Amino acid sequence: MVIRIAAVGDVHVDEDVVGRFRPALEELPDCADVLLLAGDLTRHGTEAEARCVAREFGDLGVPVITVLGNHDHQCDQVPQVVKVLEDAGITVLEGTGTVLECPGGRLGVAGVKGFGGGFAGRCASDFGEPEMKSFVRTTRESADALAAALLALECDALVALTHYAPVPDTLAGEPLEIYPFLGCYQLGQAIDSAPTALALHGHAHHGTERGTTPGGVRVRNVAHPVIKQAYSVFHLGDQVD
Amino acid sequence: MTGQPGDVPPDEYVEAEIQNMLTEDPSVAEQGITVLRRERGLVLSGEVESPHRREEILRRVAERFPDTPVTSDIGVIRTQAPTQVEELP
Repeated sequence: MVIRIAAVGDVHVDEDVVGRFRPALEELPDCADVLLLAGDLTRHGTEAEARCVAREFGDLGVPVITVLGNHDHQCDQVPQVVKVLEDAGITVLEGTGTVLECPGGRLGVAGVKGFGGGFAGRCASDFGEPEMKSFVRTTRESADALAAALLALECDALVALTHYAPVPDTLAGEPLEIYPFLGCYQLGQAIDSAPTALALHGHAHHGTERGTTPGGVRVRNVAHPVIKQAYSVFHLGDQVD
Repeated sequence: MTGQPGDVPPDEYVEAEIQNMLTEDPSVAEQGITVLRRERGLVLSGEVESPHRREEILRRVAERFPDTPVTSDIGVIRTQAPTQVEELP
């Protein structure tokens, strides 16, 4: 049996984008069991922009699950943004998870925004100025929350949803100098600590689609500028053909 | 291209200032635009979600750096439905 997952991130919706995704989204019930959004739904994280997201991605005929991204934090209106999205039926994950009954089995999705920090051997440490320690502690707390959320789910297929990248593979194409601002190895470690089948993220507009964690979990960068279509569809489970 | 022939080519401080402006200016707020410094000016490349955003980027850069020659190679990201799926057995 197959679980069909549609996913996109970094759609940065505002008034000028409303309606652009909708024709493709109308086809979702025919090709996917769920739509996962990998953060950066808005440009500045305002309540008004969240209403635009709700109009574009609400009432689709399939469940919609999201994490927030760094853009969604810009105006310090996260509670308002989350409320607008949840009122539109969109599930917002942050260190939490949910299980969906799909025709192909129970799909568990655990999500967290994540944070930067860098990758093994080339990363920030919890040392020195309070600002640096705060940065790295944010990274670690986020990854720990993802690990706990993943391990708490009972399901047939487990998916990790983040905004920041858990591996450097899917950043190829970005300048090496900014990798520490695009993701961290601790997210990959969290993903590998659970029986995760697939990890989806966004954030890296110039990155590439495919990668794997050190533990062999498949990672996909679904940032809209990377996939260059309204969403990608993944069939998780047995091969259908 | 904006600016006039004979304008002084931008140095790396101008490049840095434009890169920061593209992210921090509320009317732009783009982190996915690359600023490339060439001999005769700057090339802005990347992709945005609407034609309006592309125009706004060029308008704001021209307004703030009127003497800097700028070439635009910014596209609008397509939003068609996918035609293929990826099988992950």
